[in-house]
Amino acid sequence: MIILSVLLVLLAVFGAPLFAVIAASAMVGFRKEEADLMIMALEIQSIASMPFLSAIPMFTFAGYLLSESNAPRRLVKLTGAMLGWMPGGLALVCLAACAFFTAFTGASGVTIIALGAILYPALKQDGYGDKFNLGLVTSAGSLGLLFAPSLPLILYGVIAEVPVDNLFLAGILPGLLMLLMLSGWNIWVNRHIRRPLSSFSIREVGIALRESIWELPLPIVVLGGIYSGFFAVSEAAAVTALYVVLVEVVILREIPLRELPRIMRASMVLVGAILVILGASVASTGYMIDAGIPQRLFELVSSMVSSQTSFLILLLLFLLVLGAILDIFSAIVLVVPLILPIAAGYGVNEVHLGIVFLAAMQLGYLTPPVGLNLFIASYRFEKPIMHVYSATFPFLIILMASVVIITFLPELSLAFLSD
Amino acid sequence: MYYRFIALLERLERTGNFLETAALVTLLSAMMLLAVGQIVLREIFNTGFVWADELIKLMVLWLAMVGSIAATRDNRHIRIDALSHILPELGIRVIRIFVDLFAALVCGVIAWQAWRYLKLEIEYQDTVLVNIPAWIAHSVMPAAFLLISFRFLVLVVKQIGAIVTRPSVGPGA
Repeated sequence: MIILSVLLVLLAVFGAPLFAVIAASAMVGFRKEEADLMIMALEIQSIASMPFLSAIPMFTFAGYLLSESNAPRRLVKLTGAMLGWMPGGLALVCLAACAFFTAFTGASGVTIIALGAILYPALKQDGYGDKFNLGLVTSAGSLGLLFAPSLPLILYGVIAEVPVDNLFLAGILPGLLMLLMLSGWNIWVNRHIRRPLSSFSIREVGIALRESIWELPLPIVVLGGIYSGFFAVSEAAAVTALYVVLVEVVILREIPLRELPRIMRASMVLVGAILVILGASVASTGYMIDAGIPQRLFELVSSMVSSQTSFLILLLLFLLVLGAILDIFSAIVLVVPLILPIAAGYGVNEVHLGIVFLAAMQLGYLTPPVGLNLFIASYRFEKPIMHVYSATFPFLIILMASVVIITFLPELSLAFLSD
Repeated sequence: MYYRFIALLERLERTGNFLETAALVTLLSAMMLLAVGQIVLREIFNTGFVWADELIKLMVLWLAMVGSIAATRDNRHIRIDALSHILPELGIRVIRIFVDLFAALVCGVIAWQAWRYLKLEIEYQDTVLVNIPAWIAHSVMPAAFLLISFRFLVLVVKQIGAIVTRPSVGPGA
Protein backbone atom coordinates (compact mmCIF):
# COMPACT_ATOMS: atom_id res chain seq x y z
CA MET A 1 0.00 0.00 0.00
CA ILE A 2 2.71 2.47 1.03
CA ILE A 3 4.87 1.33 -1.89
CA LEU A 4 1.97 1.99 -4.27
CA SER A 5 1.41 5.49 -2.83
CA VAL A 6 5.09 6.34 -3.18
CA LEU A 7 5.03 5.02 -6.73
CA LEU A 8 2.04 7.24 -7.58
CA VAL A 9 3.71 10.33 -6.11
CA LEU A 10 6.85 9.54 -8.11
CA LEU A 11 4.78 9.19 -11.29
CA ALA A 12 3.19 12.58 -10.62
CA VAL A 13 6.56 14.23 -10.00
CA PHE A 14 7.97 12.68 -13.16
CA GLY A 15 5.20 14.33 -15.15
CA ALA A 16 2.42 11.75 -15.50
CA PRO A 17 -0.88 13.48 -16.34
CA LEU A 18 -2.34 14.46 -12.98
CA PHE A 19 -5.82 13.19 -13.70
CA ALA A 20 -4.41 9.69 -14.33
CA VAL A 21 -2.44 9.76 -11.08
CA ILE A 22 -5.49 10.92 -9.11
CA ALA A 23 -7.76 8.34 -10.77
CA ALA A 24 -5.23 5.60 -10.08
CA SER A 25 -4.98 6.57 -6.41
CA ALA A 26 -8.79 6.49 -6.17
CA MET A 27 -8.85 3.01 -7.72
CA VAL A 28 -6.15 1.75 -5.36
CA GLY A 29 -8.20 3.12 -2.47
CA PHE A 30 -11.48 1.62 -3.64
CA ARG A 31 -9.72 -1.73 -4.19
CA LYS A 32 -8.49 -1.63 -0.61
CA GLU A 33 -12.06 -1.09 0.58
CA GLU A 34 -13.07 -3.97 -1.68
CA ALA A 35 -15.47 -1.79 -3.64
CA ASP A 36 -16.41 -2.61 -7.24
CA LEU A 37 -14.30 -0.39 -9.50
CA MET A 38 -17.41 0.31 -11.55
CA ILE A 39 -17.87 3.11 -9.05
CA MET A 40 -15.19 5.05 -10.98
CA ALA A 41 -17.61 5.53 -13.87
CA LEU A 42 -20.34 6.66 -11.51
CA GLU A 43 -18.05 9.16 -9.75
CA ILE A 44 -16.60 10.70 -12.90
CA GLN A 45 -20.06 10.88 -14.43
CA SER A 46 -21.16 13.06 -11.55
CA ILE A 47 -19.62 15.96 -13.48
CA ALA A 48 -23.06 15.95 -15.09
CA SER A 49 -24.86 16.68 -11.83
CA MET A 50 -22.88 19.62 -10.51
CA PRO A 51 -24.49 23.07 -10.41
CA PHE A 52 -22.76 26.10 -12.04
CA LEU A 53 -20.36 23.90 -14.00
CA SER A 54 -21.62 24.95 -17.43
CA ALA A 55 -20.29 28.44 -16.63
CA ILE A 56 -16.74 27.12 -17.02
CA PRO A 57 -16.75 26.17 -20.73
CA MET A 58 -18.71 29.27 -21.71
CA PHE A 59 -16.62 31.81 -19.78
CA THR A 60 -13.43 30.12 -20.98
CA PHE A 61 -14.55 30.37 -24.58
CA ALA A 62 -15.51 34.03 -24.14
CA GLY A 63 -12.07 34.73 -22.65
CA TYR A 64 -10.21 33.00 -25.47
CA LEU A 65 -12.25 34.87 -28.04
CA LEU A 66 -11.57 38.23 -26.36
CA SER A 67 -7.84 37.52 -26.20
CA GLU A 68 -7.72 36.80 -29.95
CA SER A 69 -9.52 40.02 -30.88
CA ASN A 70 -8.20 43.55 -30.55
CA ALA A 71 -9.92 43.92 -27.18
CA PRO A 72 -6.60 43.76 -25.26
CA ARG A 73 -5.25 46.66 -27.31
CA ARG A 74 -8.40 48.72 -26.74
CA LEU A 75 -8.30 47.92 -23.03
CA VAL A 76 -4.72 49.19 -22.79
CA LYS A 77 -5.65 52.34 -24.67
CA LEU A 78 -8.63 53.04 -22.44
CA THR A 79 -6.78 52.49 -19.16
CA GLY A 80 -3.91 54.51 -20.63
CA ALA A 81 -6.20 57.47 -21.28
CA MET A 82 -7.56 57.27 -17.76
CA LEU A 83 -4.40 56.53 -15.72
CA GLY A 84 -1.55 57.64 -17.98
CA TRP A 85 -1.17 61.08 -16.37
CA MET A 86 -0.02 59.64 -13.03
CA PRO A 87 3.65 58.98 -12.15
CA GLY A 88 4.37 55.41 -13.11
CA GLY A 89 1.27 55.74 -15.26
CA LEU A 90 1.97 53.06 -17.79
CA ALA A 91 2.80 50.54 -15.07
CA LEU A 92 -0.56 51.30 -13.45
CA VAL A 93 -2.18 50.76 -16.83
CA CYS A 94 -0.46 47.40 -16.95
CA LEU A 95 -1.75 46.35 -13.52
CA ALA A 96 -5.33 47.50 -14.10
CA ALA A 97 -5.63 46.09 -17.61
CA CYS A 98 -4.09 42.75 -16.63
CA ALA A 99 -6.39 42.38 -13.63
CA PHE A 100 -9.46 43.08 -15.72
CA PHE A 101 -8.35 40.78 -18.48
CA THR A 102 -7.37 37.88 -16.20
CA ALA A 103 -10.78 37.97 -14.55
CA PHE A 104 -12.27 37.22 -17.94
CA THR A 105 -9.71 34.72 -19.19
CA GLY A 106 -9.41 32.70 -16.01
CA ALA A 107 -5.73 32.90 -15.22
CA SER A 108 -4.44 30.33 -17.65
CA GLY A 109 -1.40 32.30 -18.70
CA VAL A 110 -3.30 33.95 -21.55
CA THR A 111 -2.89 37.37 -19.98
CA ILE A 112 0.91 37.45 -20.24
CA ILE A 113 0.75 36.38 -23.85
CA ALA A 114 -2.09 38.71 -24.92
CA LEU A 115 -1.32 41.83 -22.87
CA GLY A 116 2.35 41.37 -22.02
CA ALA A 117 3.22 41.41 -25.70
CA ILE A 118 1.73 44.90 -25.98
CA LEU A 119 2.81 46.30 -22.62
CA TYR A 120 6.34 44.97 -22.24
CA PRO A 121 7.81 46.84 -25.24
CA ALA A 122 5.74 49.92 -24.42
CA LEU A 123 7.07 50.02 -20.85
CA LYS A 124 10.61 49.72 -22.12
CA GLN A 125 10.11 52.55 -24.60
CA ASP A 126 8.74 54.70 -21.82
CA GLY A 127 11.95 54.44 -19.80
CA TYR A 128 11.04 51.90 -17.15
CA GLY A 129 13.86 49.62 -16.00
CA ASP A 130 13.98 46.32 -17.84
CA LYS A 131 14.01 44.24 -14.67
CA PHE A 132 11.05 46.15 -13.25
CA ASN A 133 9.07 45.61 -16.46
CA LEU A 134 9.71 41.92 -16.51
CA GLY A 135 8.66 41.51 -12.87
CA LEU A 136 5.62 43.72 -13.38
CA VAL A 137 4.29 41.94 -16.45
CA THR A 138 4.98 38.50 -14.97
CA SER A 139 3.24 39.16 -11.68
CA ALA A 140 0.36 41.11 -13.22
CA GLY A 141 -0.41 38.06 -15.35
CA SER A 142 -2.37 36.36 -12.61
CA LEU A 143 -3.63 39.48 -10.87
CA GLY A 144 -7.38 39.42 -11.58
CA LEU A 145 -7.84 35.95 -10.14
CA LEU A 146 -10.13 37.15 -7.35
CA PHE A 147 -12.40 39.17 -9.64
CA ALA A 148 -15.58 37.78 -11.17
CA PRO A 149 -16.00 35.77 -13.32
CA SER A 150 -12.60 34.05 -13.00
CA LEU A 151 -12.54 30.28 -13.48
CA PRO A 152 -10.87 29.41 -10.15
CA LEU A 153 -13.62 31.29 -8.27
CA ILE A 154 -16.29 29.29 -10.08
CA LEU A 155 -14.45 26.01 -9.58
CA TYR A 156 -14.08 26.66 -5.85
CA GLY A 157 -17.81 27.37 -5.64
CA VAL A 158 -18.59 24.09 -7.37
CA ILE A 159 -16.27 22.05 -5.15
CA ALA A 160 -17.09 23.70 -1.83
CA GLU A 161 -20.80 23.97 -2.66
CA VAL A 162 -20.76 27.69 -1.93
CA PRO A 163 -22.96 29.97 -4.07
CA VAL A 164 -20.69 31.34 -6.81
CA ASP A 165 -22.32 34.78 -6.69
CA ASN A 166 -21.26 35.09 -3.02
CA LEU A 167 -17.68 34.30 -4.03
CA PHE A 168 -17.83 36.92 -6.78
CA LEU A 169 -18.77 39.54 -4.16
CA ALA A 170 -16.18 38.27 -1.68
CA GLY A 171 -13.32 38.60 -4.15
CA ILE A 172 -13.79 42.32 -4.82
CA LEU A 173 -12.07 43.94 -1.82
CA PRO A 174 -9.21 41.41 -1.48
CA GLY A 175 -8.58 41.70 -5.23
CA LEU A 176 -8.54 45.51 -4.97
CA LEU A 177 -6.14 45.30 -2.03
CA MET A 178 -3.65 43.33 -4.12
CA LEU A 179 -4.05 45.80 -6.96
CA LEU A 180 -3.60 48.83 -4.67
CA MET A 181 -0.53 47.45 -2.90
CA LEU A 182 1.22 46.69 -6.17
CA SER A 183 0.19 50.09 -7.56
CA GLY A 184 1.49 51.88 -4.49
CA TRP A 185 4.81 50.14 -4.73
CA ASN A 186 5.02 50.93 -8.42
CA ILE A 187 4.37 54.62 -7.84
CA TRP A 188 7.06 54.62 -5.13
CA VAL A 189 9.66 52.89 -7.32
CA ASN A 190 8.92 55.07 -10.33
CA ARG A 191 8.47 58.36 -8.48
CA HIS A 192 11.52 59.68 -10.36
CA ILE A 193 9.94 59.07 -13.73
CA ARG A 194 8.28 62.43 -13.73
CA ARG A 195 7.58 62.34 -17.42
CA PRO A 196 3.97 61.28 -17.54
CA LEU A 197 2.73 59.03 -20.29
CA SER A 198 0.38 61.75 -21.43
CA SER A 199 -1.44 64.64 -19.89
CA PHE A 200 -4.99 63.87 -18.96
CA SER A 201 -7.40 64.75 -21.71
CA ILE A 202 -11.13 64.28 -21.64
CA ARG A 203 -11.06 64.03 -25.42
CA GLU A 204 -8.64 61.06 -25.34
CA VAL A 205 -10.77 59.31 -22.74
CA GLY A 206 -13.82 59.95 -24.89
CA ILE A 207 -12.19 58.47 -27.97
CA ALA A 208 -10.97 55.41 -26.08
CA LEU A 209 -14.39 54.96 -24.50
CA ARG A 210 -16.06 55.10 -27.87
CA GLU A 211 -13.65 52.51 -29.29
CA SER A 212 -14.37 50.13 -26.42
CA ILE A 213 -18.09 50.82 -26.46
CA TRP A 214 -18.91 47.20 -27.32
CA GLU A 215 -16.77 45.56 -24.65
CA LEU A 216 -17.66 47.98 -21.85
CA PRO A 217 -21.09 46.49 -21.14
CA LEU A 218 -19.52 43.07 -20.39
CA PRO A 219 -18.86 43.55 -16.64
CA ILE A 220 -22.27 45.13 -16.31
CA VAL A 221 -23.93 42.21 -18.09
CA VAL A 222 -22.11 39.67 -15.93
CA LEU A 223 -22.33 41.30 -12.51
CA GLY A 224 -25.48 43.36 -13.03
CA GLY A 225 -27.34 40.40 -14.48
CA ILE A 226 -26.38 38.11 -11.62
CA TYR A 227 -27.03 40.52 -8.74
CA SER A 228 -30.27 41.89 -10.06
CA GLY A 229 -31.42 38.28 -10.01
CA PHE A 230 -32.14 38.53 -13.71
CA PHE A 231 -30.14 35.40 -14.47
CA ALA A 232 -28.03 32.72 -12.79
CA VAL A 233 -24.23 32.49 -13.02
CA SER A 234 -24.30 29.81 -15.72
CA GLU A 235 -26.79 31.87 -17.73
CA ALA A 236 -24.58 34.93 -17.38
CA ALA A 237 -21.78 32.84 -18.88
CA ALA A 238 -23.95 31.90 -21.86
CA VAL A 239 -25.00 35.52 -22.42
CA THR A 240 -21.37 36.67 -22.16
CA ALA A 241 -20.12 34.07 -24.64
CA LEU A 242 -22.86 34.73 -27.17
CA TYR A 243 -22.43 38.50 -26.77
CA VAL A 244 -18.67 38.28 -27.34
CA VAL A 245 -19.24 36.19 -30.50
CA LEU A 246 -21.74 38.79 -31.69
CA VAL A 247 -19.37 41.71 -31.05
CA GLU A 248 -16.03 40.31 -32.24
CA VAL A 249 -17.31 38.23 -35.17
CA VAL A 250 -20.42 40.00 -36.45
CA ILE A 251 -20.18 43.66 -35.42
CA LEU A 252 -16.43 44.44 -35.29
CA ARG A 253 -15.42 41.56 -37.56
CA GLU A 254 -12.03 41.21 -35.92
CA ILE A 255 -12.27 37.43 -35.87
CA PRO A 256 -13.37 35.78 -39.10
CA LEU A 257 -16.11 33.19 -38.79
CA ARG A 258 -13.83 30.41 -40.08
CA GLU A 259 -11.52 30.97 -37.10
CA LEU A 260 -14.27 30.20 -34.59
CA PRO A 261 -13.92 26.38 -34.66
CA ARG A 262 -10.18 26.66 -33.94
CA ILE A 263 -10.76 29.02 -31.00
CA MET A 264 -13.61 26.88 -29.67
CA ARG A 265 -11.38 23.81 -29.82
CA ALA A 266 -8.45 25.54 -28.14
CA SER A 267 -10.63 26.73 -25.27
CA MET A 268 -12.33 23.35 -24.87
CA VAL A 269 -8.94 21.61 -24.67
CA LEU A 270 -8.29 23.64 -21.51
CA VAL A 271 -11.80 22.90 -20.22
CA GLY A 272 -11.38 19.18 -20.91
CA ALA A 273 -8.03 19.11 -19.14
CA ILE A 274 -9.51 20.83 -16.07
CA LEU A 275 -12.77 18.89 -15.90
CA VAL A 276 -11.18 15.46 -16.28
CA ILE A 277 -9.06 16.29 -13.23
CA LEU A 278 -12.28 17.37 -11.51
CA GLY A 279 -13.87 13.99 -12.38
CA ALA A 280 -10.90 12.01 -11.11
CA SER A 281 -10.81 14.09 -7.92
CA VAL A 282 -14.50 13.48 -7.27
CA ALA A 283 -13.65 9.77 -7.29
CA SER A 284 -10.64 10.12 -4.99
CA THR A 285 -12.60 12.41 -2.63
CA GLY A 286 -15.39 9.84 -2.62
CA TYR A 287 -12.95 7.18 -1.51
CA MET A 288 -11.35 9.42 1.11
CA ILE A 289 -14.71 10.27 2.67
CA ASP A 290 -15.66 6.56 2.71
CA ALA A 291 -12.39 5.83 4.46
CA GLY A 292 -12.93 8.69 6.96
CA ILE A 293 -9.74 10.47 5.99
CA PRO A 294 -10.98 14.08 6.47
CA GLN A 295 -12.03 13.11 10.02
CA ARG A 296 -8.62 11.60 10.79
CA LEU A 297 -6.88 14.60 9.24
CA PHE A 298 -8.92 16.92 11.44
CA GLU A 299 -7.99 14.95 14.55
CA LEU A 300 -4.35 15.09 13.56
CA VAL A 301 -4.40 18.84 12.96
CA SER A 302 -6.40 19.64 16.08
CA SER A 303 -3.94 17.68 18.19
CA MET A 304 -1.22 20.06 17.01
CA VAL A 305 -3.04 23.36 16.58
CA SER A 306 -5.48 24.86 19.01
CA SER A 307 -6.39 28.38 17.89
CA GLN A 308 -7.87 29.67 14.67
CA THR A 309 -4.92 32.01 14.20
CA SER A 310 -2.31 29.28 14.37
CA PHE A 311 -4.45 27.16 12.06
CA LEU A 312 -4.54 29.97 9.49
CA ILE A 313 -0.75 30.40 9.72
CA LEU A 314 -0.29 26.69 9.14
CA LEU A 315 -2.78 26.80 6.27
CA LEU A 316 -0.92 29.66 4.58
CA LEU A 317 2.42 27.87 4.80
CA PHE A 318 0.83 24.72 3.41
CA LEU A 319 -0.81 26.62 0.52
CA LEU A 320 2.45 28.34 -0.39
CA VAL A 321 4.18 25.00 -0.75
CA LEU A 322 1.17 23.54 -2.54
CA GLY A 323 1.02 26.46 -4.96
CA ALA A 324 4.67 25.98 -5.85
CA ILE A 325 4.00 22.37 -6.84
CA LEU A 326 0.45 22.14 -8.16
CA ASP A 327 -1.45 24.32 -10.61
CA ILE A 328 -4.44 26.19 -9.20
CA PHE A 329 -7.13 24.01 -10.78
CA SER A 330 -5.75 20.68 -9.55
CA ALA A 331 -5.13 22.19 -6.14
CA ILE A 332 -8.75 23.32 -5.82
CA VAL A 333 -10.36 20.03 -6.78
CA LEU A 334 -7.91 17.89 -4.80
CA VAL A 335 -7.28 19.83 -1.61
CA VAL A 336 -10.40 21.91 -0.94
CA PRO A 337 -12.59 18.88 -0.03
CA LEU A 338 -9.97 17.88 2.56
CA ILE A 339 -9.38 21.25 4.22
CA LEU A 340 -12.99 22.45 4.12
CA PRO A 341 -14.16 20.36 7.11
CA ILE A 342 -10.95 21.16 9.02
CA ALA A 343 -11.38 24.90 8.44
CA ALA A 344 -15.02 24.65 9.50
CA GLY A 345 -13.84 23.02 12.73
CA TYR A 346 -11.78 26.15 13.44
CA GLY A 347 -14.71 28.41 12.59
CA VAL A 348 -13.28 29.71 9.32
CA ASN A 349 -16.03 30.91 7.00
CA GLU A 350 -16.09 28.83 3.81
CA VAL A 351 -16.33 31.89 1.55
CA HIS A 352 -13.37 33.47 3.34
CA LEU A 353 -11.49 30.18 3.06
CA GLY A 354 -12.06 30.24 -0.69
CA ILE A 355 -10.62 33.73 -1.05
CA VAL A 356 -7.60 32.85 1.12
CA PHE A 357 -7.07 29.66 -0.85
CA LEU A 358 -7.14 31.39 -4.24
CA ALA A 359 -5.10 34.39 -3.09
CA ALA A 360 -2.39 32.08 -1.75
CA MET A 361 -2.49 29.92 -4.86
CA GLN A 362 -2.04 33.05 -6.97
CA LEU A 363 1.41 33.35 -5.40
CA GLY A 364 2.04 29.86 -6.72
CA TYR A 365 2.11 31.29 -10.23
CA LEU A 366 5.19 33.26 -9.21
CA THR A 367 7.04 30.93 -6.85
CA PRO A 368 10.08 29.04 -8.10
CA PRO A 369 10.72 26.40 -9.16
CA VAL A 370 7.53 25.66 -11.11
CA GLY A 371 5.48 28.90 -11.18
CA LEU A 372 3.61 28.92 -14.48
CA ASN A 373 3.88 32.67 -15.08
CA LEU A 374 7.65 32.54 -14.63
CA PHE A 375 8.00 30.07 -17.46
CA ILE A 376 5.54 31.77 -19.77
CA ALA A 377 7.34 35.08 -19.25
CA SER A 378 10.75 33.51 -19.70
CA TYR A 379 9.59 31.89 -22.93
CA ARG A 380 7.61 34.85 -24.23
CA PHE A 381 10.21 37.55 -23.55
CA GLU A 382 13.24 35.33 -24.16
CA LYS A 383 14.85 35.89 -20.76
CA PRO A 384 16.70 33.28 -18.70
CA ILE A 385 14.50 31.83 -16.00
CA MET A 386 16.82 32.91 -13.18
CA HIS A 387 16.51 36.48 -14.41
CA VAL A 388 12.72 36.23 -14.29
CA TYR A 389 12.89 34.78 -10.74
CA SER A 390 14.86 37.71 -9.41
CA ALA A 391 12.85 40.31 -11.36
CA THR A 392 9.60 38.96 -9.93
CA PHE A 393 10.86 38.63 -6.36
CA PRO A 394 9.89 42.09 -4.98
CA PHE A 395 6.41 41.75 -6.46
CA LEU A 396 6.10 38.32 -4.86
CA ILE A 397 6.97 39.78 -1.45
CA ILE A 398 4.32 42.50 -1.78
CA LEU A 399 1.70 40.01 -2.90
CA MET A 400 2.62 37.78 0.04
CA ALA A 401 2.03 40.67 2.41
CA SER A 402 -1.37 41.25 0.83
CA VAL A 403 -2.25 37.55 1.22
CA VAL A 404 -1.41 37.74 4.92
CA ILE A 405 -3.67 40.78 5.30
CA ILE A 406 -6.47 39.06 3.38
CA THR A 407 -6.16 35.96 5.56
CA PHE A 408 -6.32 37.73 8.91
CA LEU A 409 -8.91 40.33 7.95
CA PRO A 410 -11.93 38.17 7.02
CA GLU A 411 -13.96 41.41 6.96
CA LEU A 412 -12.40 42.13 3.56
CA SER A 413 -13.90 39.01 2.04
CA LEU A 414 -17.16 39.10 3.92
CA ALA A 415 -17.96 42.85 3.73
CA PHE A 416 -20.55 42.55 0.96
CA LEU A 417 -22.20 39.38 2.23
CA SER A 418 -25.30 39.94 4.28
CA ASP A 419 -25.45 36.61 6.08
CA MET B 1 7.12 -0.32 -42.51
CA TYR B 2 7.60 2.16 -39.68
CA TYR B 3 6.89 5.11 -41.98
CA ARG B 4 3.77 3.41 -43.43
CA PHE B 5 2.57 3.02 -39.85
CA ILE B 6 3.24 6.70 -39.13
CA ALA B 7 1.44 7.72 -42.33
CA LEU B 8 -1.60 5.68 -41.30
CA LEU B 9 -1.51 7.29 -37.85
CA GLU B 10 -1.37 10.72 -39.41
CA ARG B 11 -4.41 10.04 -41.56
CA LEU B 12 -6.28 8.79 -38.53
CA GLU B 13 -5.15 11.89 -36.70
CA ARG B 14 -6.56 14.28 -39.31
CA THR B 15 -9.94 12.53 -39.35
CA GLY B 16 -10.03 12.33 -35.57
CA ASN B 17 -9.04 15.94 -35.26
CA PHE B 18 -11.88 16.99 -37.55
CA LEU B 19 -14.47 14.87 -35.72
CA GLU B 20 -13.39 16.18 -32.31
CA THR B 21 -13.52 19.80 -33.41
CA ALA B 22 -16.92 19.25 -35.02
CA ALA B 23 -18.26 17.67 -31.82
CA LEU B 24 -16.84 20.45 -29.63
CA VAL B 25 -18.23 23.21 -31.85
CA THR B 26 -21.67 21.59 -31.96
CA LEU B 27 -21.83 20.95 -28.21
CA LEU B 28 -20.59 24.39 -27.19
CA SER B 29 -22.83 26.26 -29.64
CA ALA B 30 -25.89 24.22 -28.70
CA MET B 31 -25.18 24.79 -25.03
CA MET B 32 -24.92 28.58 -25.43
CA LEU B 33 -28.06 28.79 -27.54
CA LEU B 34 -30.05 26.55 -25.21
CA ALA B 35 -29.02 28.52 -22.11
CA VAL B 36 -29.82 31.88 -23.71
CA GLY B 37 -33.02 30.44 -25.18
CA GLN B 38 -34.12 29.45 -21.67
CA ILE B 39 -33.67 33.05 -20.48
CA VAL B 40 -35.70 34.40 -23.38
CA LEU B 41 -38.46 31.85 -22.85
CA ARG B 42 -38.58 32.57 -19.13
CA GLU B 43 -38.40 36.37 -19.21
CA ILE B 44 -40.61 36.98 -22.23
CA PHE B 45 -42.90 34.01 -22.58
CA ASN B 46 -42.91 32.94 -18.95
CA THR B 47 -42.22 29.35 -19.89
CA GLY B 48 -39.27 27.00 -20.52
CA PHE B 49 -38.27 23.41 -21.14
CA VAL B 50 -38.15 21.28 -18.00
CA TRP B 51 -35.37 19.15 -19.47
CA ALA B 52 -33.13 22.05 -20.51
CA ASP B 53 -31.13 22.23 -17.27
CA GLU B 54 -30.40 18.53 -17.23
CA LEU B 55 -29.48 18.53 -20.92
CA ILE B 56 -27.01 21.40 -20.38
CA LYS B 57 -25.41 19.46 -17.52
CA LEU B 58 -25.07 16.36 -19.71
CA MET B 59 -23.52 18.54 -22.41
CA VAL B 60 -20.91 19.66 -19.85
CA LEU B 61 -20.01 15.99 -19.35
CA TRP B 62 -19.71 15.46 -23.11
CA LEU B 63 -17.67 18.66 -23.55
CA ALA B 64 -15.40 17.56 -20.71
CA MET B 65 -14.86 14.11 -22.23
CA VAL B 66 -14.38 15.19 -25.85
CA GLY B 67 -12.26 18.15 -24.69
CA SER B 68 -10.16 15.68 -22.75
CA ILE B 69 -9.58 13.53 -25.86
CA ALA B 70 -8.54 16.69 -27.69
CA ALA B 71 -6.27 17.64 -24.80
CA THR B 72 -4.55 14.27 -25.07
CA ARG B 73 -4.07 14.73 -28.80
CA ASP B 74 -2.58 18.19 -28.29
CA ASN B 75 -0.55 16.86 -25.34
CA ARG B 76 -2.09 19.55 -23.14
CA HIS B 77 -3.09 17.56 -20.08
CA ILE B 78 -2.04 19.20 -16.84
CA ARG B 79 1.18 17.72 -15.48
CA ILE B 80 3.67 18.71 -12.81
CA ASP B 81 6.17 20.09 -15.23
CA ALA B 82 9.20 20.69 -13.02
CA LEU B 83 11.66 18.14 -14.39
CA SER B 84 11.36 19.15 -18.02
CA HIS B 85 13.17 22.38 -17.17
CA ILE B 86 16.11 20.55 -15.61
CA LEU B 87 16.64 17.28 -17.47
CA PRO B 88 18.13 16.92 -20.96
CA GLU B 89 15.73 16.32 -23.83
CA LEU B 90 16.46 12.61 -24.19
CA GLY B 91 15.85 12.01 -20.49
CA ILE B 92 12.46 13.71 -20.70
CA ARG B 93 11.47 11.67 -23.73
CA VAL B 94 12.32 8.40 -21.99
CA ILE B 95 10.42 9.44 -18.85
CA ARG B 96 7.46 10.54 -20.95
CA ILE B 97 7.26 7.06 -22.50
CA PHE B 98 6.80 5.51 -19.07
CA VAL B 99 4.37 8.05 -17.60
CA ASP B 100 2.21 8.08 -20.73
CA LEU B 101 2.11 4.28 -20.77
CA PHE B 102 0.88 4.52 -17.18
CA ALA B 103 -1.80 7.05 -18.22
CA ALA B 104 -2.88 4.80 -21.11
CA LEU B 105 -3.21 1.88 -18.69
CA VAL B 106 -5.27 3.89 -16.17
CA CYS B 107 -7.60 5.20 -18.88
CA GLY B 108 -7.98 1.70 -20.29
CA VAL B 109 -9.10 0.41 -16.88
CA ILE B 110 -11.57 3.30 -16.49
CA ALA B 111 -12.93 2.67 -20.00
CA TRP B 112 -13.46 -0.99 -19.11
CA GLN B 113 -15.19 -0.15 -15.82
CA ALA B 114 -17.35 2.49 -17.53
CA TRP B 115 -18.34 -0.11 -20.12
CA ARG B 116 -19.36 -2.55 -17.37
CA TYR B 117 -21.42 0.19 -15.74
CA LEU B 118 -23.02 1.05 -19.07
CA LYS B 119 -24.16 -2.55 -19.55
CA LEU B 120 -25.72 -2.38 -16.10
CA GLU B 121 -27.58 0.81 -17.03
CA ILE B 122 -28.93 -0.88 -20.15
CA GLU B 123 -30.05 -3.85 -18.09
CA TYR B 124 -31.83 -1.73 -15.46
CA GLN B 125 -33.28 0.60 -18.11
CA ASP B 126 -32.25 3.79 -16.27
CA THR B 127 -33.49 6.99 -17.87
CA VAL B 128 -32.43 10.63 -18.09
CA LEU B 129 -34.16 13.70 -19.60
CA VAL B 130 -37.68 12.47 -18.80
CA ASN B 131 -37.57 9.21 -20.80
CA ILE B 132 -34.30 8.88 -22.74
CA PRO B 133 -32.28 5.75 -21.89
CA ALA B 134 -29.42 6.79 -19.63
CA TRP B 135 -26.88 4.63 -21.46
CA ILE B 136 -27.12 6.89 -24.52
CA ALA B 137 -26.13 9.92 -22.45
CA HIS B 138 -23.40 8.02 -20.62
CA SER B 139 -21.99 6.14 -23.61
CA VAL B 140 -19.47 8.96 -23.94
CA MET B 141 -17.64 7.64 -20.85
CA PRO B 142 -16.22 4.30 -22.07
CA ALA B 143 -15.79 5.67 -25.60
CA ALA B 144 -13.86 8.75 -24.47
CA PHE B 145 -11.58 6.93 -22.03
CA LEU B 146 -10.82 4.30 -24.66
CA LEU B 147 -9.84 7.03 -27.11
CA ILE B 148 -7.80 8.89 -24.48
CA SER B 149 -6.01 5.64 -23.71
CA PHE B 150 -5.34 5.14 -27.43
CA ARG B 151 -4.09 8.71 -27.78
CA PHE B 152 -1.61 8.20 -24.95
CA LEU B 153 -0.32 5.09 -26.73
CA VAL B 154 0.12 7.16 -29.89
CA LEU B 155 2.09 9.73 -27.88
CA VAL B 156 4.30 6.89 -26.65
CA VAL B 157 4.87 5.61 -30.19
CA LYS B 158 5.77 9.13 -31.32
CA GLN B 159 8.24 9.54 -28.45
CA ILE B 160 9.91 6.25 -29.36
CA GLY B 161 9.96 7.31 -33.00
CA ALA B 162 11.52 10.64 -32.06
CA ILE B 163 14.26 8.90 -30.09
CA VAL B 164 14.96 6.33 -32.82
CA THR B 165 15.05 8.78 -35.72
CA ARG B 166 17.05 11.42 -33.86
CA PRO B 167 18.70 13.72 -34.70
CA SER B 168 17.23 14.05 -38.20
CA VAL B 169 13.65 14.91 -37.19
CA GLY B 170 11.53 14.87 -34.06
CA PRO B 171 8.02 15.28 -35.42
CA GLY B 172 5.02 16.07 -33.37
CA ALA B 173 6.51 15.52 -29.96
